[in-house]
Amino acid sequence: MKSDTFLKLIGGLALAFLFPWVFLILIPFVAASNAEPIPYLEGEEVEGGVTAYPDSVFYRHGSSDYGRQIYAAEGCVYCHTQVIRPTYAGPDMWRPGWGGREADGLARETQPLDYTLEEVAPLGYQRIGQDLSNVGHRITTRELMHRHLSDPKSLDPDSGMPAYLHFYKKSPYGEGLVPTPKAEALVDYLLSLKKDQPVPAVK
Amino acid sequence: MTVPQPTPEEMAERASIDRSTRYPVMFFFTSAAAWLLAATLLGFFSSLKLRLPGLWDGCEFLTYGRLFPAHMSALVYGWAMQAGIGVMLWLMARLTRNELKHGVTIIVVGHVWNAAVTLMVLSVWFGFGRGIPLLDFPRWIWPIVAISYSLIVVWMIPMFRSRRNSAVYVSEMFIIGAAVWFPWIFLTANIFINKGTAPVMGAGIDAWYITNLIYFWMAPVALAVAYYIIPKIAGRPIYSYPLAHLTFWLLAFLAGWTGFSRFMGGPFPAWMPGVSGAAAIFILLAILATVTNLMLTLKGCSKIWEYSPSLRFTVFGMLMLGLYALLAAMSSTFYFGKDLQFSHFIVGMDTLAFYGFFSMTIFGAIYFIVPRITGAEWPSGARIRSHFWWSTYGIMTLVVTMLVGGIAQGGNLAVWDQEFSTSFVNSSAYVVGRAVAWALISYSNFLFLYQLALMFIGKGRKSEGPTLIHAKPGAAASAKAAAGLS
Repeated sequence: MKSDTFLKLIGGLALAFLFPWVFLILIPFVAASNAEPIPYLEGEEVEGGVTAYPDSVFYRHGSSDYGRQIYAAEGCVYCHTQVIRPTYAGPDMWRPGWGGREADGLARETQPLDYTLEEVAPLGYQRIGQDLSNVGHRITTRELMHRHLSDPKSLDPDSGMPAYLHFYKKSPYGEGLVPTPKAEALVDYLLSLKKDQPVPAVK
Repeated sequence: MTVPQPTPEEMAERASIDRSTRYPVMFFFTSAAAWLLAATLLGFFSSLKLRLPGLWDGCEFLTYGRLFPAHMSALVYGWAMQAGIGVMLWLMARLTRNELKHGVTIIVVGHVWNAAVTLMVLSVWFGFGRGIPLLDFPRWIWPIVAISYSLIVVWMIPMFRSRRNSAVYVSEMFIIGAAVWFPWIFLTANIFINKGTAPVMGAGIDAWYITNLIYFWMAPVALAVAYYIIPKIAGRPIYSYPLAHLTFWLLAFLAGWTGFSRFMGGPFPAWMPGVSGAAAIFILLAILATVTNLMLTLKGCSKIWEYSPSLRFTVFGMLMLGLYALLAAMSSTFYFGKDLQFSHFIVGMDTLAFYGFFSMTIFGAIYFIVPRITGAEWPSGARIRSHFWWSTYGIMTLVVTMLVGGIAQGGNLAVWDQEFSTSFVNSSAYVVGRAVAWALISYSNFLFLYQLALMFIGKGRKSEGPTLIHAKPGAAASAKAAAGLS
């Protein structure tokens, strides 16, 4: 009799939880898993002979993938987001450079397939620093990216970014810093962050 | 209406139950309190680093990106879950009137749990984190956590099935709920996120895991405590028992839908944040009904909370639960949420849940349980008072500065043609509040750990009467007498 109560309680709890678990987690996860690139339709003008979104030339290898792990391990997500919201949810698209190359009319909000190369999309926890969805378009040279990591205050005195000096060694030839392999990998990753490839029209 | 007084046989039975839980429960409480002190210090240093970004430049172990997740992991898995497990074990034994068996197994598994938390915090600290809030640890740690949790709570099932009262107390339902929900959400989150085939859903599932941990584990454990301690100390039954059952099932049906509203406008189908927001608003109903039910139970004898440490902490925790549910519902609407979602507000909310409502309620339970299982009274009422007030000042400072600072920061972020760094400069004053708050909370928990350690080594006060917040030791036999209500 008493054990019946236990089974009824567990059954009730399982039933209550099964609905959100199936409809909010399981089905959307399976539906979004291993998404195939979407080919562009005939007549859709895309520069550089790109045939599908997301394009395979954006696929990261080696160093920049190591950089992705460093980005995660250093907890960059606790201050930097990688999500551009539609204008109904915030003015992210209006900030210069955030949504992509607006001069070419390519700025847009982020889409699920933009994160295909990540293990877990680093959408972010807080936005203490700039959004990094398209930082690879805003900061285009390795030198400048290294400067952002090693001495951010020299670029913006009000910046809240700490200098990641533990990624750099003192130069043996006098003044200046020499990046470690970790810094190079992180820069490779940051330079690869571009989320403005045109999305194909769906038939 | 008063509750019948226990007979001598019942008193003896309770004493033997308490003795059976003594070592496992004290083990969890003391190790949790040590983790809490570590977590609050990490919270202080991470806030300091956020205010002064140039501090300790070049030291990789003192960056915000590592200190903050280490702080969160220590606070949740080191302190909150261990203290909660201790409370669950004792409450289950008392409510079902069964002695706790397998005490040695539980202590051994408890050590494994502590080892897992140590590895978790150190791996984040030494740069092996994965940047997934609350699931930062390397992927091989989660099976240890899941298995050790299961091996601790599984003994509650035979206890529940062999309970002596045929009726099911609502506290028992909440404990069974918390016991089975955690493995489910923890396994779901880890298995799906580690599969890694849908990166965006991985981020969504992490947000879902955080709110589910709050509503499906912390809230049930805290409510089990409140539904036990408040009627017990007030000496009267719960105002409305059917309402208590109703709110339990409301929470059970709704909490699993929350979470995705942390990413409104994010790369998800629009219905997902929408459904989560709606669930958060409906949960507000359940939580407000619960808090009202508990406050009506206390009506007319609320003076006791001036004297009884357990009641004071528990009632404060429940009020904070109401505040949390209210702010969670508010921030899941577009009107408030779109400006607040990536601001300091989110830190204020998470800390309000982990410390403001969960920890404060659990302190209430610990102040109630420890004298009963060690057979000694707390050494000093003044230190309990300091613990309460410094914690309260701390958490209120933190919540107010982070919520107001969040509004300020979110407001600055919403002005698209303003320099980005304005939002950092304007909100940095509020971060000072966050650092001060953690310093206050660290101090209060140093007092707590000190008292708990004295109790652990058997240096408690041997006396007839319990330690009250205001009365001199031995001056009154109960909080009721001190409040002039009996």
